[in-house]
Amino acid sequence: MALNELQYEFKVDNPTTILKENYHYGVVGSGDMEVLMEKKDLGGAVKVKVVTPVSGFDKVWERVLKKFVTENSMGDVSLEINDNNATPVVVTMRLRQALAELVKEAEGGDK
Amino acid sequence: MANWDDLQKSSFLESSARERALGLVDKGTFTEFISPIDRMSSPHLPVLGEAVEFDDGIVVGVGLIGKKPVFVVSQEGKFIGGSVGEVGGAKMVNTIKLAVDMYDKMKAENPDLPEEKRPAVVVSFETGGVRLHEANAGLLAHAEVMDQIQDARGKVPIIGVIGSKVGCFGGMGFVAAATDVIIMSEFGRLGLTGPEVIEQELGKEEFDAGNRALVYRTTGGKHKYIMQDCNFMVEDTIASFRDQIAEVVKISIDEMEGLRRIGSLELVEEQIKLVELAAKMQPSDSKDVWAHFGNEKPEELTDMPYDEFMKVVKRYPKQS
Repeated sequence: MALNELQYEFKVDNPTTILKENYHYGVVGSGDMEVLMEKKDLGGAVKVKVVTPVSGFDKVWERVLKKFVTENSMGDVSLEINDNNATPVVVTMRLRQALAELVKEAEGGDK
Repeated sequence: MANWDDLQKSSFLESSARERALGLVDKGTFTEFISPIDRMSSPHLPVLGEAVEFDDGIVVGVGLIGKKPVFVVSQEGKFIGGSVGEVGGAKMVNTIKLAVDMYDKMKAENPDLPEEKRPAVVVSFETGGVRLHEANAGLLAHAEVMDQIQDARGKVPIIGVIGSKVGCFGGMGFVAAATDVIIMSEFGRLGLTGPEVIEQELGKEEFDAGNRALVYRTTGGKHKYIMQDCNFMVEDTIASFRDQIAEVVKISIDEMEGLRRIGSLELVEEQIKLVELAAKMQPSDSKDVWAHFGNEKPEELTDMPYDEFMKVVKRYPKQS
């Protein structure tokens, strides 16, 4: 019954960290999620924590997250996700949107 | 997060709690209290296996409108229907308390505190009331918010804005009624027992919650505007709500009393008169009541565009 907490760590070659100290994106609606990205000294790794009511999809989460980290050559970033039954497609889309918005905000400096 | 200028043109109905909070105050002035980075999520939901959110479905903070500090509380309907639990409730209560404390402090330092610098509170309601998963804490939060609103009376205006998907129902319907001013769009909905709950308890014959037109003409912004349950009706953009708030905060705190719905003997008498009217009329539909207040073709009001509606509508003539 309790919430599941999943932890992952990924490492890619020549990683870069994010442009802001931290960034929050998304709303934990039904079938949706939020992510909190933070710049952190993790020896080049990316640490991910997922909190979700769904059990048995650990491997799917791992693949989706690994792909996202690899695609964007991320490192020294901590990701925390609160999930409420989001499908892998939605997770991928939200993570990409979050990163795109983060870059836009960091470059534009507009709020 | 969209930038402030884009937000102004955005539909208020479609906007998230954080977007509304950001867009309702002047550009670049919003500072969030207990933001997602503080990870103040509900302690009760994990044991029930329910998803949590870092902000517990409520965004609070402070910004400026002109020189005026405006404290904002904005509820997120997508997270468990915008329901109020322990953390979200505490954020709401303490934001109002901060505004009152700030007023007291400013007034102590400067007895001639000009009206334009006095703090105000804006609550963007999007909620069904108490979060049933943490019912006791949620109920307590409602009582505490009511308390704070009373403490703020005569000091800090509390402005309710309603124009989001979930509307404002349940215990928060009572809280909204206790504010000084209510601003709605026609898509805002306000009531105590929500349509689905009425249907569930009393059956489809009593109230068909699937009938959108019926739901809107019973709880929607236009009906509430006619009944004087909301003071101002605006178009569905963040800018329209913002502009109306900017106008409302110019009203002096004494005049603000006249915009309230509850809180004095005269207002109680006024409400009783409405109940008597309802008992006498036995209306079968809101349209009967609209007609009674002089709207000759009430059926035309429902689909009428905003500008035209505002020109032709006749409202319940308030006595006090």
